[in-house]
Amino acid sequence: MAIITISRGSYSRGKEVAERVAAELGYECLSREVILEASDRYHIPELKMVKAVHDAPSLLERLGHAKQDFIAYYQSALTRAVQKDNVVYHGLAGHVLLKGVPHVLKVRIIADLEDRVVDEMKREESSDQEARSLILRDDQERRKWTRNLYGVDPWDSALYDIVVHIRKFTVSNAVEFICRAARLDPFATTARSQRKIDDLALASQIKAMLVEVHPDVRVTCDYGNVLIYTVNDDRMARRMKEKVEALTRKIQGINHIEVHPGVSAPKISV
Amino acid sequence: MQPLNPEMILVMFMIGVAVFLFVVEWVRVDVVAILMMVSLPLLHLVTPKEAFIGLSSNAVISIIAVIIIGAGLDKTGLINNLIAPILKVAGNSPSRIVIAISFAIAIISSFMQNIGAAALFLPAIQRISKTLKVPISKLLMPIGFSAILGGTVTLVGSSPLILLNDLIAPFDLQPFGLFDVTPVGLALVTAGILCFVLFGRFILPQGAKETSEESSNGRDADSIQEIGEAYELETPEDFTHYRDPVRVEDLRRRYLVNVVALVEPPDFKIFSPPPDTVIHSDVILAVVGRKEDVLRMAESEDMRLKADLDAFKDDLDEQASGSVEAVVAPRSTLNGKTLKQIDLPDRFQVTPLAVYRQGETYRAQIGDLPLRVGDAILIHGTWKRLQLLQAEGSLLFNTPVDVESLRPEKAAFAGLWLSVSLVMILVFKIHLSVSLMTGALGMIITRVLSIDEAYGAVDWRTIFLLAGLIPLGIATQKTGTAAWIAHTVLAATGTVEPVVLFTIIGLLSTAFTLVISNVGATVLLVPLVVNMAVAAHADPRMAALVVGLATSNSFILPTHQVNALYMGPGRYRSTDFMKAGLLISLVFIPVMIGTIYLIYGF
Repeated sequence: MAIITISRGSYSRGKEVAERVAAELGYECLSREVILEASDRYHIPELKMVKAVHDAPSLLERLGHAKQDFIAYYQSALTRAVQKDNVVYHGLAGHVLLKGVPHVLKVRIIADLEDRVVDEMKREESSDQEARSLILRDDQERRKWTRNLYGVDPWDSALYDIVVHIRKFTVSNAVEFICRAARLDPFATTARSQRKIDDLALASQIKAMLVEVHPDVRVTCDYGNVLIYTVNDDRMARRMKEKVEALTRKIQGINHIEVHPGVSAPKISV
Repeated sequence: MQPLNPEMILVMFMIGVAVFLFVVEWVRVDVVAILMMVSLPLLHLVTPKEAFIGLSSNAVISIIAVIIIGAGLDKTGLINNLIAPILKVAGNSPSRIVIAISFAIAIISSFMQNIGAAALFLPAIQRISKTLKVPISKLLMPIGFSAILGGTVTLVGSSPLILLNDLIAPFDLQPFGLFDVTPVGLALVTAGILCFVLFGRFILPQGAKETSEESSNGRDADSIQEIGEAYELETPEDFTHYRDPVRVEDLRRRYLVNVVALVEPPDFKIFSPPPDTVIHSDVILAVVGRKEDVLRMAESEDMRLKADLDAFKDDLDEQASGSVEAVVAPRSTLNGKTLKQIDLPDRFQVTPLAVYRQGETYRAQIGDLPLRVGDAILIHGTWKRLQLLQAEGSLLFNTPVDVESLRPEKAAFAGLWLSVSLVMILVFKIHLSVSLMTGALGMIITRVLSIDEAYGAVDWRTIFLLAGLIPLGIATQKTGTAAWIAHTVLAATGTVEPVVLFTIIGLLSTAFTLVISNVGATVLLVPLVVNMAVAAHADPRMAALVVGLATSNSFILPTHQVNALYMGPGRYRSTDFMKAGLLISLVFIPVMIGTIYLIYGF
């Protein structure tokens, strides 16, 4: 069927929409599970993982590679989780981390700021000003995060297939739109589109294996042909290849691996 | 000795600029030389006449003549004809083959540019490796090193030695004769070969022994295992229904299968289709790939794999087409470009299958790899198309596909004119440049090669590198900078024995030649060492000779053109050169100094 990613701000009712869409379509609903899976698989404390993938990188982190490895772990966990298809994902950055997969329906749910402030005040029993500043800060943080790491503005509607503003439309309306869209032909899983997500999962998995020691690597995968791009010289590239071959011996689906040193990686690489 | 003056400081500054530019390679070395040629007269360090005197120097004229004579020998296939008798003498023993070919290439490269001799022998060595099933990595490096060492056998063997007489002329030293260096050169060649015979198994990569039989289409088993064979497939009638278009490049990216030809209905044959060619229904494809990849492709893309070649039976026959390994030659215009930019399928209708570099085989997305000197590209195409590509000259082919353009009937003339030059030099003691130019002219008159071919053969980069750096040598000597540096160094070190001095000069030249070109090292060091030798009461001619010889001691890094050329085909890595090169470089200095001492004394 399809993979549905729902990008949302806090108190935008996106979570509710996601859960109801999943229930309606009989899909699995994922969000925090991906963080848990990533922290479990790559032995990173959950709190550290949450902080790394949620907060925008500091100036120092932007200069170094600190965030890159967490993102790689997260992307690896996410692609593996959605590989089995029929999934609604309403966690972070689904629209950028699952880029290039045809059967991903990308949705953004937004809500009025005033409604969100009221919700926050109700839940946290805080003042209007406190609630407002918290929501604005959170929005800003998420926006900065996507901008810094992926060079895209999550508020740009062109990134999504549907943007639903929960105001005049209710949550039920949103659920109905999304379910109808998910049943359309372009979002149907085909052998070719499944291949894409399998390749993306494989590339992300290999990147996650290498990123700690070689933070600069970029990986592509086409029908199981894995290409690793590095700025390192030939000697380092050879060592990396030996390491990758040893690491990936048990991974299924790899047809061929090459390391290309000194070649700039294509945009589709992870 | 003059005290340090502003002129000397300026000369030293210009030397610094030249060395800096040689090392960082922002511009090519010959451009650095031209920069010197122009800036030195502008700074009034040399006269305008001195600035361009290099172009009319004996060195430049000799090298032009040597290049033309070499091209003539090449054109007649004379050298290829020598290989069969050499192999007869050598028999089947790998070490005897290495010895025989190494000596032969050393002798030939003593009259040709080293790189020319090395390129000439490459196809033959690859054939020998295949026929006798000796790993190519065991043959190429010793032979390549011998080609470099062979440059020390005569005074015209390498650019530094050709330059030597011009560089010592301002000091009123007696010029060297053509064969004055021969005993030293032969000792060096022998020592080099001995090192490989005795220690080859320790310093050479062992490589896989090519034991399997040759396949029917002529490629060795190694390459079939890596790249695969030719297969024919058919797309069904409904191939394009309900799916995104499939392009030639998609098949390559997804399955590492190369489409080398296809037949569009009714029977329109396209060879080496461009990567963006869309594959339609009812098309017959000829592909080269590994069997498992081809099977995977046939299954996933709903194609029918034929049991045998059918529509392309004749086109893919050994007689009509095949694969060749072509090497990116030193100074090739392809250096730094990607295969995508070069677009071989469009320009020559040939298909690149793989790239070999530093012992690695690249098969995926090779279009994006920026090519480097020494990369070997496996290319498939019809012989006719491959010939056109070879004629273009930017790639060096391991199989001579242009056999027809050879002029074997002129071999006798080529040999005759080479002998005439030698007799003029040895018997009649006529000047080197005049004798060699006579030989070159003789080859042109007897139509061994046409005058245009002769002009085409001349490598202008070498000419301007030599000619452009000569004024820098003149400025160093004329302003007294060389004398000043020499005296300052000697004052600091105290008086040393000639043998110690010559060893230091040898080491210094070796170090310089590894970072700046051998010509650059010679031009900068000769005026310096002549002054040092005079001050230390050693023979200044011998000091200059040590520089001329030791600048060929370039083995540790694959920076020498010959090493760069053999790197891809030999599947060598830089560390392989370091291991073997270190031993040869260490042996080089004592053998050189010892032989010079025994024959000439200090």
